[in-house]
Formats: sequence, structure tokens, C-alpha cells
Amino acid sequence: MSPLLEARGLTTVFETRAGLLPAVRDVSFTVAAGEIVGLVGESGSGKSVTGFSLLGLIDPPGRIAAGSVRLDGEELIGLEQGRLRALRGRSIAMVFQDPSTTLNPLLTIGAQMRLALEAHGGRDASAMRARAIETLSQVGIADPAARLGAYPHQFSGGMRQRVAIAIALLNRPKLIVCDEPTTALDVSIQAQILSEMRDLARNIGTAMIWISHDLAVVSSIASRILVMYAGRVLETGPTRDVLSAPRHPYTQGLLDSLPAHATPGTALRQIPGSTPSLVDIGPGCAFAPRCARASEACASDPAESVAGNRRWRCHHPIAAVA
Amino acid sequence: MPGYALQRLAQAIIVMMVISVMVFAGVHAVGNPIDVLISPDATQAIREQAIRAYGLDQPLWRQYLDFLGRLARGDFGRSFLYNMPVLDLIASRLPATLELTLAAVIGATALGVPLGIYAGYRPSSILSRAIMAASILGFSVPTFWIGLVLIFVFAVNLGWLPAGGRGATVSVLGVEWSFLTLDGLRHLLLPALNLSLFKFAMMVRLARAGTRELMLTDTIKFARAAGESEWTILSRHVLRLIAIPIVTVFGLEFGSTLAFAVVTETIFSWPGVGKLIIDSISSLDRPVMVAYLMLVALLFIVINLLVDLAYAALDPRLRAQHA
Ligand SMILES: Nc1ncnc2c1ncn2[C@@H]1O[C@H](COP(=O)(O)OP(=O)(O)OP(=O)(O)O)[C@@H](O)[C@H]1O
Ligand code: SF4
Ligand SMILES: [Mg+2]
Repeated sequence: MSPLLEARGLTTVFETRAGLLPAVRDVSFTVAAGEIVGLVGESGSGKSVTGFSLLGLIDPPGRIAAGSVRLDGEELIGLEQGRLRALRGRSIAMVFQDPSTTLNPLLTIGAQMRLALEAHGGRDASAMRARAIETLSQVGIADPAARLGAYPHQFSGGMRQRVAIAIALLNRPKLIVCDEPTTALDVSIQAQILSEMRDLARNIGTAMIWISHDLAVVSSIASRILVMYAGRVLETGPTRDVLSAPRHPYTQGLLDSLPAHATPGTALRQIPGSTPSLVDIGPGCAFAPRCARASEACASDPAESVAGNRRWRCHHPIAAVA
Repeated sequence: MPGYALQRLAQAIIVMMVISVMVFAGVHAVGNPIDVLISPDATQAIREQAIRAYGLDQPLWRQYLDFLGRLARGDFGRSFLYNMPVLDLIASRLPATLELTLAAVIGATALGVPLGIYAGYRPSSILSRAIMAASILGFSVPTFWIGLVLIFVFAVNLGWLPAGGRGATVSVLGVEWSFLTLDGLRHLLLPALNLSLFKFAMMVRLARAGTRELMLTDTIKFARAAGESEWTILSRHVLRLIAIPIVTVFGLEFGSTLAFAVVTETIFSWPGVGKLIIDSISSLDRPVMVAYLMLVALLFIVINLLVDLAYAALDPRLRAQHA
């Protein structure tokens, strides 16, 4: 069976004053129907740009320079704007990081949900209202009928993000890209929304791409993860396998910096150095300046290695655990 | 809410008191009307009699208190020049200026805002560049010069439109209006166009800047991610989100044009209040000057109040603050 979403060689660049900035480079992955895939990486690694590229939401000076994105077999790259708009929200939806900036502060929740429904042929006011109430209660908003008349500022941050998720769910998309939707929230609310979303996705059969810089968050929700660095996917595979036996030194570095993996009483081991500037990224492995395993071979681009359902890009991968 | 209303009222009264002192003192500094009112070769006796009749022999504070006392009774005094109650005089001229101002401000907004939104939405298109060029022109070319060019082209050369006056009017509730007759409209067109160019330029700039900024925000991106059409995004999200600065400028432009459309009214011999105030200054017609300036201050207080009410209507977060 072909996957719900298939990205091949996706490459998105920004034309900046400093030069051509390759924010997403040659990214390939698939998402099966109903599956939750985690996309993890440090700030600036290209996670959001990957998400926006899938929906065709890259504004100038950015553009998708190469690659293919197929949703249900239909090619999205280069698709005519009207058709793309019809797919957004209905086949593929997205929730953003900061709930305080995504909703329109001047419109009621009900009005905003109505606009999203009307965008996909919603006409009947009472049917739209019923659907809005249904989705709000799905995401855990109490007394949804009364809340339709409320404005975004009358909700807490966590509730606002639930509303945004409800708007994304309204037209029953097959895939939702969740771009760090819990990062701006309190830790306790974060955990709550996370587990609710996992259950919800299972119940309604929606596939998700869950983006986070936090490996712990991603591992708690996703069945498969993609580890991104400097615009590339460095390692991918089933979450359990990747976390228990990472092949890529960068994944290992991320794991070592997690509290749960550290020896109690010792300081967390952060990956030394910081993410490279994408403008003057060389031909070799982008992680080399921070990598303990680097050798001369790493001055050339590591090709992708495949073993079963796992893939990685490294000249000196960590040995597989037997 | 009643607390807020009372607070606004108290503020308004204080402002009006301060303004009345300033206006009264300022008008007295401009010159002594007696020199204008009485022919230079009048006898000393006639002179003194006139001074007493107008109350000009009293000390200034005394004159001010008398003025306040009359004001409290709604009496703004009589015009020296026209020898009629000042309020009647202003009321007879106000409709002309009001319709001219409304035509100019509404026209500029109705045209400038959509064009500005377009220019902010597609900043590099040819049409957007043309719109911006027009707005630069509207900003930089002086009003009197454009007025003269308009007259020269449309009235003198082409002969399509009249060069001045109000044309035929229709009386509604005892007030004469030009915009209700075809001839009146033809007379209204050029002066309104003249007055609106600067406002048009300003509206274009405001709408463009607001739209450009908004198009990059998550709010708009999120609406797009939900599949909303570009038309919905511009008409339902952007227009509302840029409305507050536009309402502000609309109010202030309306007020200042209503009060000071002098240049255009003079060029097009439009019989409005702008011409009245200029005449009253040159003839030192104190009651008219004082009443006029007081009314202008009152006008701005009312406009500010209306603008604040409009904010609250537009933005639920501000409503919450005043509630
Ligand atoms: N509009 C833009 N113009 C220029 N560069 C951009 C633009 N948007 C993103 N980039 C660049 O693309 C790269 C990837 O950005 P992206 O937002 O995808 O990172 P991210 O992984 O989502 O990080 P974060 O965790 O901080 O959200 C960054 O280097 C960023 O500077
Ligand atoms: S390719 Fe070399 S530098 Fe890059 S991660 Fe592997 S070992 Fe480290
Ligand atoms: Mg991001």
C-alpha cells in the first residue's frame, strides 16, 4: 500500500542578503495513514520550513527548489494555487508553535471556525455550528457552545492551542502537521495535550507529523522519528529502535542531553558547539565540527545508509546492537 | 462603564476651559477690533462709546468672565462684521464644509484603503508601483497648486466642470445641500478631489504598511493553512486587522478638514466655514474667531470620543478593558 504522504528529495531555499540559504536539503520520508511521525532537531534545523513546504506555505524570499511531495498519490509541488488551497485544511492541515499569534484576535472563535468551514464548502450555518461544537469538545474545551462567542484573549494559552487544533481538525484532514504546538505552554499542560492528541489521532484516524526540538516529547507520541540537523534528516526509524540504539552520533548527542538518560547526580551532557550557519555550509557532514567521531572522510557528504526500516547519514555510524 | 463616561466628561470640560482661556487670550493678542470697526476719522467720543458698547473698556479677566457667562447661556455673541448671532452665522456655512469634507474623506478612504491593501499584498506588481507613485504625488504636491491645475484642466480647458461655487442646492430640514442635485454634485467634484488627494495618499500608505506587515504573520499563515481563499484572507482578516489606525486617521482628517479646509474653499470659492474664519481673522471679528475655535476644540473632543468608541467596537480586547 502506498503511504499517505511521501516526500522525496524536498529542498527549500531562502534567498537572503547573505546568500542562498538551504533551510531544507534533500529531505525524504513517508507518513502512513493514521501514523504519528516525530520530527526532532535543534532550533534552526529546518523543522518548521519542512512543515510549511508540505503545505506549500513558503513565502518569498523562500521557494521549494527541488523535490516531490505526494499526498494520496497527488503531487503537491508546483500544484496550481486553487487546487492547493482546496487541499489545505481538508487533506493536510497545520497547527503552529505559538497559540497567541495564530488566532485572529478580533474575531470570535465561532467566526474563525466558520471561515475555515466555509473555505471547504460549508454553507449551512447550523451544520457548521454543530461541527464546530463537536470539534471543540473533541479537543477538550468545556461548554463549547458557549465558547463559540468568545474571543481568543478570553482563553488561556493551553485552551487557545486547543482551539487552534480544533480549527485544524474541522474539515477532517488526513494529515495534521503539528509544529511544536505545546512548546509555548506549561509543562503540565504540555503533557496533558500530548496524551490527548495521541488518543485523538488514534480515535479519528488522522495521521500526524509532530514537530519538536524535544526528543522526550517526540518519543512519547510518535511511532517513528526523523532526526533533523542543518536542513537534513540525519537518522530515521521506529522511535523505540532509534532511541534504544541510535546509529547517528547526533542522535546519541540528543539522547545524552535528556535528563532521563543521564546518570543521576551528574550534569547533563550537552552537545558541544552550536548549529552551523546554513549560508556557508560546506560539502561535508554538517555535524563534523561538533562530532567526536569525525575523521577526514567526513569532509565529504555521507551517503544514506539503509538497514531494514532504519536509515542514517554518517561515515562512522555507531555500531548496531546485536 | 458609567465611571469611564464620567471620567471622559470631566476631561472634556477641563480641556474646554483651558482652550477657552487660550483662545480668548490669543484672539486679544491678534489685534484690537476697534481699529477695524470704526472709521479712523471718527470723533473721540464716538470711539469711546463704541468701546463701551462692545465691552472693550473692561479689564481682560472681566471680559473673559462675561464671555464665560454668556457662553453658559449658549450665547456666543454677535459677529461685528455681519451683525448677526455667531452661531447662526457658523450654522449657515457649516453644511457646505461638512459635505465637502465628508465627500473628500470618505472618497479617499473608500478608494485608498482597497488600493493600499492591494499594494501591500502584491508589493512588486506594476499596479502597486503605480498606486505608490500616485500616493507620493498626493503627499508632495501642495494643495493649492493641485487645485489650480484642476480648475485649469477641467474647468477652463475642457469645460467639463464648474470652477467654483456650490451650484444648485436642495433644502432638507432647513439646511441647504449641494450633493442632492446633479448640478451641486458637479460643483462638489473638483474641490472634493482637491481635498482628498492628500488623504488618499495617507490611506494608501497606512493600508499598505499594515497589510505588508500582516501578510508575514502567523495569523494569516494559519488562515491559509486552513484553506481560506486569498479573498477571504484580505476581506475578513486583513481589513479588520488594519482598521484601527485607519479609523484614527479618518477621524483626525475629518476633524482637521472640517475645521481648516481654507485653501480649497478659497480656490473654489466654496462658501464654507474655512472662508468665514479667514475673513473673520482679517477683519478681527472676535466673536466669530472665538466661537469658531471653541467649536473646533469641541469637535475634536467629540471625534476623539467617537474614535475611542470605534476602537472598542473593533477590538474586543479594548472592550474588556473599559468594561
Ligand atoms: N523567511 C525566512 N527567511 C530567511 N530564512 C529563513 C526564513 N524562515 C526560516 N529561515 C531559515 O531557515 C532555517 C530553518 O528554520 P526553521 O524555522 O525551519 O527552524 P526550526 O527547526 O523550526 O527551528 P525552531 O525550533 O527554532 O522553530 C533557519 O536557519 C532560518 O533562519
Ligand atoms: S559523518 Fe562524520 S562528522 Fe558526520 S556525524 Fe558521522 S562521524 Fe560525525
Ligand atoms: Mg520552528
